[in-house]
Amino acid sequence: MRAKLFSALAFLLLALHCGCATRDLAAEASDKKAKVGIVFDIGGKDDRSFNAAANSGMLLAKKDFPIILRDVEPGDPTSIEPALRAFSQYGYNLITGVGFAQGPILTEVAKDYPQLHYVLIDSVAESPNVASLLFKEHQGSFLVGMIAAYTSKTGVLGFIGGMDIPLIHKFATGYEEGARYVNPNIKILQNYVGITDAAWNNPGKGRELANAQYEQGADVIFQAAGNSGLGVFDAAEAYKKFAIGVDANQNWVKPGFILTSMLKRIDNAVYSIVKDEVEGKFQGGVHIYGLENDGVGYALDEYNKHLIPQHVIEKVEQAKQDIIAGKIKVTDAMAK
Amino acid sequence: MFRNVFNYTLIASTIRLATPLILAALGGLFSERSGVINIALEGMMLAGAFTAATVTAFSHNPWLGVLAAVFAGVLTAALHAVATINYRADQVVSGTAINILFLGVPALLSGALFDSTGATPQLPREQTLPDIALFDAQSSPVLASIFNQKPLVYLAFVLVAATFYVLYRTRFGLRLRAVGENPEAADTAGVSVIKIRYAGVLISGALAALGGAYLSIGQNSLFTRNMTAGRGYIALAALIFGKWDPVGALLACLLFGFADAVAIRMQGTVNIPNQFIQMIPYLLTIVVLAGLIRRATPPKALGVAYVKE
Repeated sequence: MRAKLFSALAFLLLALHCGCATRDLAAEASDKKAKVGIVFDIGGKDDRSFNAAANSGMLLAKKDFPIILRDVEPGDPTSIEPALRAFSQYGYNLITGVGFAQGPILTEVAKDYPQLHYVLIDSVAESPNVASLLFKEHQGSFLVGMIAAYTSKTGVLGFIGGMDIPLIHKFATGYEEGARYVNPNIKILQNYVGITDAAWNNPGKGRELANAQYEQGADVIFQAAGNSGLGVFDAAEAYKKFAIGVDANQNWVKPGFILTSMLKRIDNAVYSIVKDEVEGKFQGGVHIYGLENDGVGYALDEYNKHLIPQHVIEKVEQAKQDIIAGKIKVTDAMAK
Repeated sequence: MFRNVFNYTLIASTIRLATPLILAALGGLFSERSGVINIALEGMMLAGAFTAATVTAFSHNPWLGVLAAVFAGVLTAALHAVATINYRADQVVSGTAINILFLGVPALLSGALFDSTGATPQLPREQTLPDIALFDAQSSPVLASIFNQKPLVYLAFVLVAATFYVLYRTRFGLRLRAVGENPEAADTAGVSVIKIRYAGVLISGALAALGGAYLSIGQNSLFTRNMTAGRGYIALAALIFGKWDPVGALLACLLFGFADAVAIRMQGTVNIPNQFIQMIPYLLTIVVLAGLIRRATPPKALGVAYVKE
């Protein structure tokens, strides 16, 4: 009997664990301010990278506009849909889904609530009330690939991706082309942490992959691996080699060991969408962010400016202009 | 190509990847040999990993972090012990609840402590566990590079020997096994089943937490949400695989570590799709389990709550 009681209690605890978020939402449903909800990717808003960029954009928007901001960090992929639906049910005006994995789910949810506005990052939902934000990661990756190739002394570079998916191949391909643009004979090692979404949260594996690449002679590794990438930074410090950050500016995480970061300005994009929403100018459809509108780029700040010589920066800036002008074509691994 | 995969760095990598598994599997061994299923290894590892990183972040001393991790592991294990031994809750349900609990607890605490949701600040390298070299780099460079590991790595191997000794050569070990096989008989002989099972489960938490601490402040320099990525379950598999024996579990963990290390080195050097390479550790498990081990017999009283007549 007591055993049964305890099992029941354990289940009750679990149910509570899932249920408490929705109660808060109901309490605010009557407020007049624009209500903005964001559902993060599996990495969570503290990945110091992809989700963190989306979060910082939201926080800035919250500071500048009278909005109510609520976020959900789904513990596993199955809690994405309930989170999106909860926001929708309580009439949130603008609901953001972060990450390609939310694409099919958000498409369905958005169809059920045509009067609400949605934002989808890294994927496209064919619905007029969804703004789909896409980034030309290959262009930004091209530039950091150039910096890596100029910096490398061994002629071996590394790339560590999180989950082995087309979106991350986009980073890899751009990086490779940028590196070869500088040095056609450069060798590039490529590894992926995994093939499930656990790959974004496995810094131990990231570290081990980086160890292996550094031991094979790589002296710069570009990581696009969420939390797993933080393990790559640890390896860079241990081997006294370089790593390149991704999405957010990660130069500060391990100063001196992070050569630069491939910026994906999700923060700016999210901020401007919230601004549009508040001003009543929300536009659905596909929004594309590339070098031409500073949607992607590379980070240069007090942590890394002594690591990159001026002549390299000039070459990279020139290439940036050439890419914008269409003189350099960077392959988009997702465009078939 | 062959030399890119199979060289001495593979050995070092195998050892590094196997260490958290070995520690957690030994933990599982103490619990399961006493008759309590411990599916909560994953949660206990997370508790250890988070506590180690948090205490180190505040105290700037990784050793204190390790100590605190052990404490947290024991505390987590106490939950499992109270639920399953005193209240005779289903051992799998209690274990699962602990695993789910520790997906949330670090997020909650890191929110309060670091204004984060599931991560701790990245520690400077000096504040993580140091590498300890066992050999002189001048006279034997290869051995020196392989055996230049974190103290917890060496501790894991020492603990395998210690577990073997305790389990088969001491009175406590005999009682632990007796309680796991036939608690009624042990009870009749005057052994306190409750006390021995408590000891087994608590030791289990301490060891699994050490495995977690290795991940957060040994191999890496921070805690991130769910950073164990299923290692607790793999450790449990290794324990079963190794027939609930310390040496068997060690070999199973080394095999998993080896398969993982090979997969890491094969990626990108061999022209096989990544999806297949990532399957290697699991395929290997099935092959070895089905082909070589065939039958692993668990302790007889495993999973059965003891009711004193």
